[in-house]
Amino acid sequence: MTEIDNSKTRCFAVARAFAVVLGVLFVLSAPGVASAADSENSIIVSVQNQENINGVSEKKPVTGVKVSVANLSGVAIGEGVTDSGGIATIAVPAKDDYVITLDVASLPSGVTLVEGTKTVVNIAKDAFTTNTKRVTFFAGSVGESGASLFDRIAQRLVDGIRLGLIIAICSVGLSLIFGTTGLTNFAHGEMVTFGGLIAFWFNVLLGIPLLIAAPLVIALGGVLGLAMNGIIFAKLRKRGIGLISQLVVSVGLSIMLRNMYLYQFGGRTRPLDDFSLQVAKSFGPVSITMRDLTTAIISLVVLLGVAAFLQRSRTGKAIRAVSDNPSLASSTGIDTQKIIRVVWFAGGALAAMGGVFRGLDEQVGFEMGSGLIFLMFAGITLGGLGSAYGALIGGFFVGLLVELASLVVPAELKNAPALLILIIVLVVRPQGILGRKQRVG
Amino acid sequence: MDIIKILENTISAFFGIDAAYFALAAIGLNIQFGYTGLLNFGQSAFMACGAYGLGMTSQYFGVGMWWGILIGLALVIILGLLVGIPTLRLRADYLAIVTIATAEIVRLVVRSVRFKEYFGGSDGINSFSSSFRDLSPFDPGAQYGVRPFQYSGYSLWTMIVGWSLVIIFSFLVYLLMKSPWGRVVKAIREDEDAVRSLGKNVFSYKMQSLILGGVVGMFSGMIFALDRGSVQPDNYSRDVTFYVLTALVLGGVARVSGSVVGPMMFWGIYVFSDNFLRELTKDRPFEIFGIGIIQKSQVGPVNYMLIGLGLMLLMTFRPQGVFGSKEEMALDGR
Amino acid sequence: MDAERTYTELAQRARAALASVNASPGVAKPDPILLAENVRRNFGGVTAVDVQHLEVQRGSITALIGPNGAGKTTLFNLLTGFDTPDTGEWMFDSKNLKKVVAHKTASLGMVRTFQLTKSLTKLSVIENMKLGATHQMGEKWWNGLLPFRYRKQEAMIERRADELLKRFKLDHMRDQYAGTLSGGQRKLLEMARALMTNPRLVMLDEPMAGVNPALKQSLNEHIRGLRDDGMTVLFVEHDMDMVHDISDWVVVMAEGRIIAEGTPEQISANPAVIEAYLGTHQGKSLLEEENA
Repeated sequence: MTEIDNSKTRCFAVARAFAVVLGVLFVLSAPGVASAADSENSIIVSVQNQENINGVSEKKPVTGVKVSVANLSGVAIGEGVTDSGGIATIAVPAKDDYVITLDVASLPSGVTLVEGTKTVVNIAKDAFTTNTKRVTFFAGSVGESGASLFDRIAQRLVDGIRLGLIIAICSVGLSLIFGTTGLTNFAHGEMVTFGGLIAFWFNVLLGIPLLIAAPLVIALGGVLGLAMNGIIFAKLRKRGIGLISQLVVSVGLSIMLRNMYLYQFGGRTRPLDDFSLQVAKSFGPVSITMRDLTTAIISLVVLLGVAAFLQRSRTGKAIRAVSDNPSLASSTGIDTQKIIRVVWFAGGALAAMGGVFRGLDEQVGFEMGSGLIFLMFAGITLGGLGSAYGALIGGFFVGLLVELASLVVPAELKNAPALLILIIVLVVRPQGILGRKQRVG
Repeated sequence: MDIIKILENTISAFFGIDAAYFALAAIGLNIQFGYTGLLNFGQSAFMACGAYGLGMTSQYFGVGMWWGILIGLALVIILGLLVGIPTLRLRADYLAIVTIATAEIVRLVVRSVRFKEYFGGSDGINSFSSSFRDLSPFDPGAQYGVRPFQYSGYSLWTMIVGWSLVIIFSFLVYLLMKSPWGRVVKAIREDEDAVRSLGKNVFSYKMQSLILGGVVGMFSGMIFALDRGSVQPDNYSRDVTFYVLTALVLGGVARVSGSVVGPMMFWGIYVFSDNFLRELTKDRPFEIFGIGIIQKSQVGPVNYMLIGLGLMLLMTFRPQGVFGSKEEMALDGR
Repeated sequence: MDAERTYTELAQRARAALASVNASPGVAKPDPILLAENVRRNFGGVTAVDVQHLEVQRGSITALIGPNGAGKTTLFNLLTGFDTPDTGEWMFDSKNLKKVVAHKTASLGMVRTFQLTKSLTKLSVIENMKLGATHQMGEKWWNGLLPFRYRKQEAMIERRADELLKRFKLDHMRDQYAGTLSGGQRKLLEMARALMTNPRLVMLDEPMAGVNPALKQSLNEHIRGLRDDGMTVLFVEHDMDMVHDISDWVVVMAEGRIIAEGTPEQISANPAVIEAYLGTHQGKSLLEEENA
């Protein structure tokens, strides 16, 4: 363990770190997305109408609804009318407690709020996690009616396959990084978000068509992976810093990146320009947009490609060898450091791809990847930490299960079954489906 | 730039209620992570147990505050078992993964519309502190103290209770860690198999550590909720655990003094940075070479970025924090 | 060699009992403290351990030898609960240990040390020792909060620990972090710490590995001292001098199986054993012994 404890070297390293961050901030500030909007505190009121078409719940914005904001003493702060997106943005002077009122009389005819929805909503100062607080009023009927159970299951199955493919793509890197270096990378979600945000930058801000931008984004994702390894984790490994400490560093990195994204992008989610308005096509009981179908097919092809690469190619075999047993692998002449770099590049690229697909599906936001990380962890635990095929299988199943579970579990809690999977796997078969059995205490 | 105001806010942050509830959470996390080596990334869930235990009793059952403590305790034990039984026999990473997932699920559940009647949904629970208020010898409306330490009667009361709890638990943890129990747990942190070979039930000790740390975290959540007068689900996000962790590492893991001074320093630095940046960007964005780097609205994220960066640098260059000792750092090797 | 040494009564009895035992693998012993039957462990297609029958005589010093990869440490792990065999039954003092976990076997009186010493470097030497004591009241957390409840017992434990440290000549390092000790001293510490549990069977995994040759003789004495105090010792070793010097009985493993048993003299003359070691350094010293 080479301890470079010389204070001077340490100060230098810390100063360098700050310089890097400042430099990145400087670069990021140039085409400031956040500076355009969100420069003040505001409350965003959204009114959406939930309709059921063939068992698929779709949200349609409700236009022309009057909403008003007042403070706790009843003094009116502002009011607005929802636009074509069903959104009204009302500026407020500060993060504080407010009362939001929806004028029921201004609802268009035939539209009623969901039974039991309050038309007066209180929000507290602390509810402002960023500069905006979003409040949504739902109209329509609760739950899904008018579609048979079979239809609903079929639709969920399709949604689950889509989600599963995305999770599988995103988590391959996570699993391989664990296998080759032993690091549980808590910043992996931010690598997914990176893909989405860069795609937004190219597509929306620079106007480059997504078909051209996407490969660039994916390559940049790989570069991010290389940078994370090269700048941070390889250096930590060299200093002999243990795995738990590295894990905590990855946590710090996750916080830093997430807030960098927030700083740059703002708190709202936004759609990409290309392919954002789609009409769902029906295939029997199931409906899916062409875009989603395409991304699903591309995901599947990529996954099969990754699997083939790992199985057939020399580098792929070397990756599996290092992931399985690093010391044994290096004694057979494999350059483990190079393999690790390849793994970080591939992991970053695949995560970025997942981010692009996710952004197409669910809009781009600073937290889009952070939400996925639980599902990724559940997936790779199910499949087996360290096994690439395990990540593919496990991630896929987690996505499938989560969507299917939403048939019985309320939508807002649909990630909860993933936790259940995690716990069950760890109790019954901790090494997952494909992992190696480790000595258990 | 109003430097006086910045300094006043900073100084009062050192001793404020935020530092107190952070210190309680850090003491709990220290038992689990600092002394035993358990990667509990879900301390916020234990804090939520305390806050919601308190909130639910008075709101829905109409019973006194003391019942809230018992209910919170029950919730902590259930949560600890739920999280610990699958993971404590396995690598440290698994506990981290499961606790972070659990913390998120707990937050989603208490925030959900489905369970709104129990937990109040995203509005939370807002009126439960009356019995606590009644215990206060201070007049809630009046102002006490001198600048910069000026507080309302209610705030002063929660601060005193909060810091008293910090002192009590610090002392208890100090005793605990000096005892043979503490010895076993510190040994487990370094090498479980060695401890097993001496006949100790390692799993049981880890579970005890997890739950004891959770109990102290529970009190942290309670104090926080009592001070704010409300229980809000978004205050118990997984990021809270990470900030507490940063504060703990800053002060020094496996050191009682670290778990108290760390949060104080953390809040002092955070408030200073926050105030400073806000003053800096009050009228116009902060610019370097003519390009606006920091807008007023971006101060929050920039501050949190610095926290993230700070954690990374601490773990790399000074993992023992301010008060820890290098020889005792037994965090790696797993 | 042997003639110069005097044996305690316990040791004499153990040696006498072994004198009547036939030198064949898996042979029964007059008074076994440890008995294993059909213990098998596979690692991904490779049979690491395949022991049909093994008995260890109470009160003796038994050596477990064999070339690298013979399965000695794996057998240790299986018997003490640090690993689970695919099949097999084994008993410690007539108590069935199948499915008994590691910490339970230790509290039953069967303590082991490790090939890579596990002295707890972040604790002081005396703390390491005190950790070994069993049935400590202070180890319950509610007692931990009330020092007066465990103070007396702690003092007693500390006295015992100091005595042991003195016996192992580590007393002058009592308050230092175990991390500052040399390799050999750490081995001694691990042994001394194991003794704090008042074991009946002490299983040492390569106690001589990495030890300064000057310390080896005193280590031998310590191990003999254990037997003289009535404990049974089972140890894994590669150092043939040591095996010859102190063991009452030798068990030889190769490729997971027991291929020979007997007194040290019988073993060094055993052709199967020589063949197992042929070509290795250990083999040479046995051959030299034979021709001496």
